This record gives sequence, C-alpha cells and structure tokens, in this order.
Amino acid sequence: MTLSAGAPITSTENLLLEYIYKLERHRHGRSACRIRLSLLQPMNRREHHVRAALSTFDGLIRRLKGQVFALSNFDIVVIFKDVAIDEVQAAMIKLRFLFDDDPALMNEEDEGRASFVEWYVVDKDYQTLLRMAQGLVNDDIQRRTQDKARAAEEAAAPQRQKRRDPLTPALLAKLQNALMGADLANMMRRQAICAVVGQAPPQPLFYELFFSIGELQETLLPNIGLDSSPWLFQELTETLDYRVLSLLNRHDDRTLSGDVSINLNVQTLLSQDFLTFDDGVKSSQRGTIVIELQKVDIFADLNAFLFARDFARERGYRICIDGVTVDSLPFIDRGRLGIDLLKLAWDASLVEGKLPDGSPLADYVRKCGPSRTILCRCDAANAIQVGQSVGITLFQGRHIEQLLAAETARLRGGPATAARRRS
Amino acid sequence: MQASPRDPGGPETVTQEHLLLDAAERVGRVRDGRVAVHLHLSRLKPQNRQDGYLRVAGRMLEPMVSAYRGQIFLLSNADIVFIINQPSPIDLKDHIHRLRGLFAKDPLTNDDSGDGVDLFCTLYDLTFDFDPFFAMVQTALAEARGRTRTSQAPELKPLDATTLAVVLERLTMLDASPFVRRQSAIALSGAHAEVIFQEFFISVGDLQRALAPDVNLLGNRWMFQHLSTTLDRRLLDAMRRMRLTHAPPAIHLNLNIGTLQDATFKTFEDSLPEGVGLGIEVQILDVLADSRAFFETHRKLKERGRHLVIDSLNEATLSFMEVGRTGADLYKVDWTPELREPHRRDAVMAALKHVDPAKLLLARCDSEAAIAWGVDHGLEKFQGRYIEAMLAATTMGVCDKAGACTLAQCTARHAVITGPLRVECGNNQMLDTPPKMRNPKRKATP
Repeated sequence: MTLSAGAPITSTENLLLEYIYKLERHRHGRSACRIRLSLLQPMNRREHHVRAALSTFDGLIRRLKGQVFALSNFDIVVIFKDVAIDEVQAAMIKLRFLFDDDPALMNEEDEGRASFVEWYVVDKDYQTLLRMAQGLVNDDIQRRTQDKARAAEEAAAPQRQKRRDPLTPALLAKLQNALMGADLANMMRRQAICAVVGQAPPQPLFYELFFSIGELQETLLPNIGLDSSPWLFQELTETLDYRVLSLLNRHDDRTLSGDVSINLNVQTLLSQDFLTFDDGVKSSQRGTIVIELQKVDIFADLNAFLFARDFARERGYRICIDGVTVDSLPFIDRGRLGIDLLKLAWDASLVEGKLPDGSPLADYVRKCGPSRTILCRCDAANAIQVGQSVGITLFQGRHIEQLLAAETARLRGGPATAARRRS
Repeated sequence: MQASPRDPGGPETVTQEHLLLDAAERVGRVRDGRVAVHLHLSRLKPQNRQDGYLRVAGRMLEPMVSAYRGQIFLLSNADIVFIINQPSPIDLKDHIHRLRGLFAKDPLTNDDSGDGVDLFCTLYDLTFDFDPFFAMVQTALAEARGRTRTSQAPELKPLDATTLAVVLERLTMLDASPFVRRQSAIALSGAHAEVIFQEFFISVGDLQRALAPDVNLLGNRWMFQHLSTTLDRRLLDAMRRMRLTHAPPAIHLNLNIGTLQDATFKTFEDSLPEGVGLGIEVQILDVLADSRAFFETHRKLKERGRHLVIDSLNEATLSFMEVGRTGADLYKVDWTPELREPHRRDAVMAALKHVDPAKLLLARCDSEAAIAWGVDHGLEKFQGRYIEAMLAATTMGVCDKAGACTLAQCTARHAVITGPLRVECGNNQMLDTPPKMRNPKRKATP
C-alpha cells in the first residue's frame, strides 16, 4: 500500500469518495447536499461551529437514514434517503439560523455567488457528485502538502517574536464595530479553578469562561498588540462584556451549566444587559456563578464598585478580584473590599515567598484565606509547589489543565492525549 | 423594565409620570390595603444617582412589587414610586432597608431633617393618605413637563474610540502652553506660610473648549486615561519652553508612570534649572495598574532626588488600601466638606495614622473651612483655590501696580504661564515670586 503526499487513506475525503463509489448501485431514492461552511468568515467556522452544525444531523445518523462527512475544509456532505428530506430541511433552517449574520448567508441572493448549500439528486446527478468528491480528495492532498511545508518553515524559525503595532483609538473603534456583529462563541474558552492538595489530582471547583484574547487578536487584528495600551484594552473589555452576556443569554442552557466564573466590568454590572442576563439565570444557579472584576476597574470608582458589589451579592453572585500581581498584592485587602475570592497571577519571583516589602507571602495568604486565594497562570509544576508552600490551595492554569487531562485519561485507562489544547 | 429612568420623553410619548397618574387614579377607586412608596432618589448626590444605580435600585424592588401585584415607576427626576397591594409590613421594611443600604454612602440615607422626617423615602398608606399621595403624583407630572420644556441644552458627546482618535489628531498640531495652569502649595511654619512647590497641569476644561467643544473629554475614564498619556507629552513640551522671570522652589507635574520612561521626560528633566526641585504626582490607579513599574520608577526617581506624590486620595481610597505602602514622599488628600462628618473624618484619620503628617497635603482647599479643618487635624500643607486667592491678595498688598487690578484678575494671572492674561499684568516679576504669607490659622482665629 502506498500513500500519496502523506494523505492517509482514511481521510474523510477518501471515505466520502469510497461511499459514493458504493452508492452507484443504490442511487435511487437518495439525495445529497454539501453545506459549504468553507464560505463562512474564518471566525464563524471554528471547531465549535462545525460541531454545532454536525450535531443537527445526529438524529439522521442514529436512525440510519443518512451519512454525514465532515471534510477538512470545514464543509459538510450529507447523503440521505429521500424519506428524511423534511428532517434535512429542518436541520438546514437551524444551520442558517446559526450563521445568519455571516456575509456568506446574508448576501446569498447576490448573483454569481456560490450558494451556501448545494443539493444533489443522487440518481440524476451521480456523475457531478462523483467529480465533486474526487475534487475534494485532490484539494485535501494539496492542503496537507502545504500545511506540512508551512509547519516545517515555522519549526525552522522558532519563537520568532511577531512585531506588533500598538493599538490606537481608531483601530479600537474598528475592532469594537467588528465585535458587535461577530459571534464569538468559537473564541470562548474554559479553564478550571481547582483545589490541589498534596499530590492528589486537582479537584475542579468552577470553570472560568473567557474569550481567548490571543485568538481574537489573530483573527481580527493580527499585527496589532491589543495590550499595548492598558486603558484602551480596558475599554475593549467593556465591549467584550456585552458579547459574553449576550452569548451566555443565548446558551444559558449549556454554557452556564455547572459552576462558572465570568469576567465583567463594574459598569457592566449596573447595565441593562446584565439585568437581562440576570433574568435568565435561575436563582439556584446564581450562587454558583463567580463574577471576576479587575483590580484597576474596582479602584477606578470605588463607590460604583461598592454599589455593584452589594447588588451582585444580594442577587447571590460571588465576586473575585482578578489581575492581582505579587507587586500589587500589598495594596489589596480582600476582606476589607468585601470580596469573596482573590486571584494572584503566578510570577517567578513568588519563589522567594516574599512580598515586595519583604513580609512573608504565607502571612498574607493566611490573612486573605487559603481557600479564598487562587494562584492563576500556573503554566508549570513548580507554581503549585511554591503556592502550596505558602498555603495556597486553589490553582488555575495550563499546568492544571494538563493534570486534569492526565487524570481523565488515567480514569479512562488511556494515554494522556487531551493535553493537546490550542491556546 | 426597559424604561430609561432619565428620559422625560417628548410631548407625544407616555412618560412614567403619566403612567403613575393613571395608576393613581385607578387605585383611588379601591384604596383599601394599597400602599405607595416614594423613594426620593433625586435627593441623592449626582454621583450617587447615575443611571446604572437607578436601574439596579428598580431591579431590587421588582420581586416585591410583583409579589404584591404592584407597579413600579422610575420618574424622570430619578425618583422611584411603587404601589403595592397588602404587603407584609416586614417584607416592605426589609426591602427599603436593603435599598437604603445600597445608597449608604450618600448622606441622604442617614440624615434626617431634624424633625424625624425620613428624607430618603415617604410611605403612603393609601387607605388613609390617598389625597397627599395624589397631590404628589400631580406635582411630579407637572414638574416632569416643565423639565421636558426647559432641558434643551445640547448634550456633549461621550468620549469614545472614534472621537478620541479625532481629538488625538488635533492634539498633534497643538502647542499646549496656553492651556497650562499652575497652582501653588504652601506649608505652614510658625507664624508664616511659604510656597513649597507649584503644580503645573493642562486645564482639561479649556482644552476641551478649544479642541472639541462638543465632546466631554472626561466622560469616559479609560479613554481619558489614554488621552492623558498624550497630554503628558504636550505638557512636558510646554514646560520646556516655559519662560518665567523666576523659577518656583519646586515643580510638580501630574504624569502617567509610563511617561517617565519617555524621551520627552528625559529632555524636560535635562532642561530643568539647577536647584529647582521636581515632584511627580501619580494617581493611585496608575500605581495599581502596574505596581512593578511603579516601584521601579519610584526607585529611579529617588536616586535622582526627585519626589513622588500620590494624588487625589479620598475617603474611599484611603479606607480600602494602605497607601502608606507606596513609600511616597507626599500624599495629597482631597478636601470635601463631608470630611467634617465625624465618621468620615475618623475613617480618613485612621487610614493616615501611620503616615508622617509632614508628608500629608490637603488639596482642593476652596474655603477657609478647609484650611481650618486641616490645621485642627495637624496638617501643615495646603493647596487649592482658596490658597491661590490668599496668595493673590498678599501679592496685591505689596505690588506697586496693584491699584488697577481686582483680586480675580490677579488670581487668574497667577494661574497661567503665557498669553494675554500674563501680558496684562504690569508686574510679571511678582507673579513668579510667591510672597511670604502670614499663617492662615492666625487669620482664621483672631
């Protein structure tokens, strides 16, 4: 058996082609459609979207009325028995709803534009279908070859720092505009905040939901350093707040299940959008939602913070102060601020176990509350050791995610593979 | 509840006051067991009755209002009125109590007018008090109509990313010198008071009028913070070009910490005459935003003999963080008349008890009462409009050209560093040479 250009014989494209060959003798009473997710804006066709799109055909597959192929160019091909046509049409309505703000669907009537869905009657269009599948196999091989070349190139120039231009107000205005219309569901990430005691595996307490700023940057403004101005960035987070609230409103059944934390600004807590979000949250759930506020935002208007804090706690939410570093730690008195949790960002200087004024970090942690201090951005194992040595029990970060993945794999009895996470 | 609490509505729109009147008329027919509550949120201080606060206040009442089959009205003057049916008195009391707690920072919630009347809220048992309630509703409607007619002043645009981009562009071409203002700080020593430094800053109000009269430059905190980094550079350029007849003992500048790493700062520092002190004033927000950079900058400033000042401290910042940990050379506490209230004074004094009084300055002193309060509490350093007026008055007492001037003119001329106001003054020498004053405490208590 020979493999051409590294394309595994089991690629979905190959499976599709094979299936169509077999179909030749069963052409009657079958139809096919190709849903061209590849036409969507890149930010609308992330893994999350493809998964959502695929799940609309779950019923079809379960009842053996059709086959679904998720291609490497994001397109989906569905081949189904004609009796299931209503079901497929219904799925299509759902799909259009899912992506209705994408230009590919908004301007579908434009002449000469490739249509989002291509339909085939297998009996009549068999040759066209076959040519399409062959074309897809070729495209896939080509793409793999290119990917390989690019990967080799990147490997040859590792860690080359991208020079980024600073964010300006004009760019920020553009970005805010783009964000207003964008579906950011695919940029939403989860990271666990875990209790880690001794050598025992991490126990997740809740999950932080956040937008991957890195990905946002890559997708929308690849050459701009979004964090070049702390103040413009802070303004950007207010725009993101509204996006996260609307997203959670839409997905409150799924995304918000379980204990979560979300990042918001004080002013957002006082906004109509938050009240609307609050309407959608079951009262039993509020106690499990943690609201993370940045330290600068809290101190920018302490009176507004106190007002928002009292309101949020009255409604049952818990509050966490975020963005605290070892250098700003001495200025933050969690108890006095009436905040439930404090997030301290890992920094190599924590190894010394001292605050900038020389006082022991362990004393601070004891006063703040070991079960109320979270050491976040733990990317390596020593963060946990250092944290534990000063009494911290709660941790978050990439290393924790790896430990969790390893634990999951161990329980399943397989190797630790889940650690391959795109950040 | 979607109604904007602040929108009085046009002539055709049905306002909350109209709806309230309708509801009151209906309730008038079945008064039994109905209770109306009027929350006088319009009496809160402006900073405590922002839209967001009012929205939240309305939200806090919603569960009760719906539990007792009632209605709630957010009036255009920020007041809230709700009418409910046979509420549990405990429940009602509890809700009002919680709402009062939310506004606890405002004097309205703890003051009473001396005759036991609650200024925060008025309760009407409509079985008996329908008529005064109805009269209040009618007044509210009439007042709202009056406001709609009179409130036609054009609103300033908020500072958003788009407007900021325009402002920054205009700023690149601008010489900031005409917008630079100065204010003197004094220290009391024995029978005298002496100027210890002059703070130079850009007057944002004047800049706004000249550069973007339709934009509220202070309307968005983050956008203004970003703008201030550019203003820093403009100020430093203007300072470098400044020509005074006599340099003050020390120059204080309000700058972002990031600016101190800028080449503009280095150039300015090099141009500073020998023997003139330099103090850098920073905001607590800037200290928190990047504490590592703050400590590092502080260390470098110290090495060069520069002073570091923490600016704009108030009761809230002092109560929630130990500012003494910044290790600054001077702490500026903003005066407000509320500091005379015992619990506020105690909070501020407790927060400052570990700070050497010589390192404290009472800023924004706009009255004799401010100085008197400061002296009573052991403070020695002062700054503010009242100090400016005192300095001008003392100058006029010894200036041979004072015959043709008023105190307001002399004060205004002291404040600028260039331009027509300064040219009008016949004695620039005296403008730049602060006089020795008599200790204001002695003046205050004969």
